[in-house]
Amino acid sequence: MTLTTCLLLASALFSVGVYGLLTRQQLVAVLVSVELMANAANIVLVAFSHFTASPLGQVFTLFALAITVAEVAVGLALALLLYRTHASSRLDAAKEMNG
Amino acid sequence: MRSPLSEAPLAALVAVLAPALAALLLAVLPMVRRRGAPAAWICLASSVASLVSAGLLLAGQLGEAEPMAWTTSWLTLDGQGLGELGVNVDGISASMLVVVTIVALCVQVFSVSYMHDEPPDAYGRYFTYHALFLFSMNLLVLAPDLLQLFAGWELVGVTSYLLIGFYYRKPSAGRAALKAFWITKLADMGFILALAVLFTSTSAFRFDAELSTPLANVVAGLLFFAVVGKSAQFPLHIWLPDAMEGPTPVSALLHAATMVAAGVFLVVRADPIFAHAPDTREVMLVVGSLTALFAAGLATVQTDIKKVLAYSTCSQLGYMVAALGAGSTLGGYFHLTTHAFFKALLFLSAGSVIHAVHSNELADMGGLRKRMPLTATAFIVGSLALAGIPGTAGFFSKDLVLAALEGRMGWLPYVALMTTAFLTAFYMGRVVLVAFFGEARGKADHAHESGALMLGPLAVLAVLSLGVGYFGAHFAEVTATGEYHLHFGMTPAIASGLALGGFALAYAVFGGGRDASGVGVLALLDGAARSALVDRTYEALYRHGMLNAAAAIGWFDRYVMDGLVNLSGWLTLVAARSLRRLQSGFAPDYVFAVVLGALALAAWGYLS
Amino acid sequence: MITTIGFGLLAALLVGSALYVVRATNLVHSVLGLGVTLSITALLYALLEANFVAGVQVLLYVGGVVTLMIFGVMVTRRHDGIVVRSDSANEVRGLLGGGGIFVLLALSILESDLPSSPVGPAPSTASLASELLGPHVVAFEALSMLLLAAIVGAIVIARRRDFGEPRQDLVTRARAAREALRVEALRAEAEAPSPEPAASDAAEPPRADEALPSTDGSVPAQEASS
Repeated sequence: MTLTTCLLLASALFSVGVYGLLTRQQLVAVLVSVELMANAANIVLVAFSHFTASPLGQVFTLFALAITVAEVAVGLALALLLYRTHASSRLDAAKEMNG
Repeated sequence: MRSPLSEAPLAALVAVLAPALAALLLAVLPMVRRRGAPAAWICLASSVASLVSAGLLLAGQLGEAEPMAWTTSWLTLDGQGLGELGVNVDGISASMLVVVTIVALCVQVFSVSYMHDEPPDAYGRYFTYHALFLFSMNLLVLAPDLLQLFAGWELVGVTSYLLIGFYYRKPSAGRAALKAFWITKLADMGFILALAVLFTSTSAFRFDAELSTPLANVVAGLLFFAVVGKSAQFPLHIWLPDAMEGPTPVSALLHAATMVAAGVFLVVRADPIFAHAPDTREVMLVVGSLTALFAAGLATVQTDIKKVLAYSTCSQLGYMVAALGAGSTLGGYFHLTTHAFFKALLFLSAGSVIHAVHSNELADMGGLRKRMPLTATAFIVGSLALAGIPGTAGFFSKDLVLAALEGRMGWLPYVALMTTAFLTAFYMGRVVLVAFFGEARGKADHAHESGALMLGPLAVLAVLSLGVGYFGAHFAEVTATGEYHLHFGMTPAIASGLALGGFALAYAVFGGGRDASGVGVLALLDGAARSALVDRTYEALYRHGMLNAAAAIGWFDRYVMDGLVNLSGWLTLVAARSLRRLQSGFAPDYVFAVVLGALALAAWGYLS
Repeated sequence: MITTIGFGLLAALLVGSALYVVRATNLVHSVLGLGVTLSITALLYALLEANFVAGVQVLLYVGGVVTLMIFGVMVTRRHDGIVVRSDSANEVRGLLGGGGIFVLLALSILESDLPSSPVGPAPSTASLASELLGPHVVAFEALSMLLLAAIVGAIVIARRRDFGEPRQDLVTRARAAREALRVEALRAEAEAPSPEPAASDAAEPPRADEALPSTDGSVPAQEASS
């Protein structure tokens, strides 16, 4: 377990998140993908904290966690609103901006 | 009386600012203006102040005071003013200022009585315009450079428009005002272009700019175009006869004595420029002579007393322009001065007659000599002066003009002006005989002499018309425009003889109150006057030239220019229609764009 | 050695569960897969000697976020037992974007000169606490404001009545009922020349209010006017 392998693992997770972000059609599933990406970023922070023996990375991870929770709350509220207005939580239901 | 040096600019400022203050006061205080009489008093007070200042200034110049100027830079840019603003006192401006203020005061005093029957608000408006005019004219006269002169030039144009259209309920007055305004504006294009040329070549608007001959010809030619409009020279003279729609005192002040003479004054002022422009002077000589002869011919057949005087003014302005074209600045300027007095006198006398008869038509007058002896005397004095009978002011100045023309251009201008002198005596004789002698016709039966307020100015002007001629030498000295010599050669003799001959012929034709308007050559001239050829030419040019050209330009604008604009709009729409397909409205598409952008950025950073 | 094996195991599990999360066709399964992924991440934190963060991860993330997500799924679907499908599209695009990012990140990571072992002892929870409440206390407090704002915002967005169809219907019906009552009362007043109009006026409004909660549309107008 080196920093390189940790970072590669985080990169893989992040890429998986991007893949989900691009392919998923459900707003909740998109949120889940975003969570994966945020989680990958947190892993990077903790890994650096471990290998540089500094608490800063963990501090920022804690901040990031809290912010992610806030983001999820707002995102879910948006999902609820989407469902109310379009009777669906699929993203392709809301295409009013289609040119 | 001697004026200390330091007082001169102050007096000049008073001369300009007193009427300005009066005009401003009357403009912003409607309650004073609408009461009428107070407005007249304010206007008269300012005119008196101007006259006193002008007298002080001229006395100073006569008393060997140095020419002086009080100026301030206007629109300073990069340490250099665009033009000078202020007052410039020298012999030329001081003498012109005196002429202007004397005539203005006489006319205003005359107006107090003449306009008395107007409603109070119109009365006040009239004097407000007069104050504004005097300010504008003094601004023009005292201008230290061409830019301020142009400002005054345009201001007198505006006041001319306002005063011609004073009886604005009369459609013909409104039309005449517009005609005068448009034609003089057209001519003023020449002034603006001259200013532009002058500024681009010398970075200033000085009267005495040092110019090469071709450039001087251009500048002087453009300025002369403005003069043709303002001083009613052929072919832009057509506005002046129509301008007689205004009140008669206005015709006396603006359209005989001062404003129309502003063109001549401009040439006198810018003499250094014109001196380097021989070709322009040739043109001036031709135009001036032609105008003098042409207008005199038309004056012989006019039935309206004011129109006779209007064409006479054109003719006399032609004299001045011809003199200036011949290089005799003194002749042109001196004739301007004498003409200002005797033509104002003639107009005011005519105004007195019109006031009594309530008609402009010569046919309605007759036998007024008995009913209005003082007015008749004044009118006859003016006529003699205008005809150049020896001893009157007109004789001296006309002599100077004619002497300057001797031998020029194969004697043609000389002959033209001599003929004009004859015609002048003839048409003035006709007016005198028809209006003041013979039997009273129509309304003239009930005419009675005007009051003191009208006769006083007539007396002053009559004295000046008789006496000013003797001060030619002083005039030449103070204005420094040339040497004055009284000629006792052939020219004055011929001119006097022709003038007397003109009167004699007039007596032969019209003596005893005969109306012989339809006889021989006169019938021919009458036909020419009625055909209004110049006016019709302009009309045809406007109808067939201007309107068609405007229609063509309009078509071009509507279909070509607008087409280009519409094409650009259409192209934008087409481009947008294809570009909007990029906007799917589907969130993952946007995310993909973000990812691609991030990838591109990262790849760029990685590769570089 | 044991850490290497453990890390390899965790990494494999982590990537596998993540792939399951983004590939699962049942949305509830996907969210539960996220819970698994986050739990394994917590284990990874523990392996990286970040015990406090690992604990927070389990409590906050697995316990909070995943629960919230499940609620989200439930609320946006009718509870009739239908499997919530989360279909995928644009596979090529996803592979291109995800793969491209991975390749770029991996390339830059492999090129970098990174430490292979910790340079010192792992930071203790106590040092973490002193960092949080020391230099970063302002950010820490600001974060609480952010959370509060997020909660309030979420409530505001979610509770917009004018979008909710059933509620709007309720309000409209209540208004219609009230209007009908008023009209009926006016008509009754006009028809019957009542000797004491004041009494009937006083009697009607309370009854109208009582009728409001009735949402079935049958306005008890007859009762009110009789």
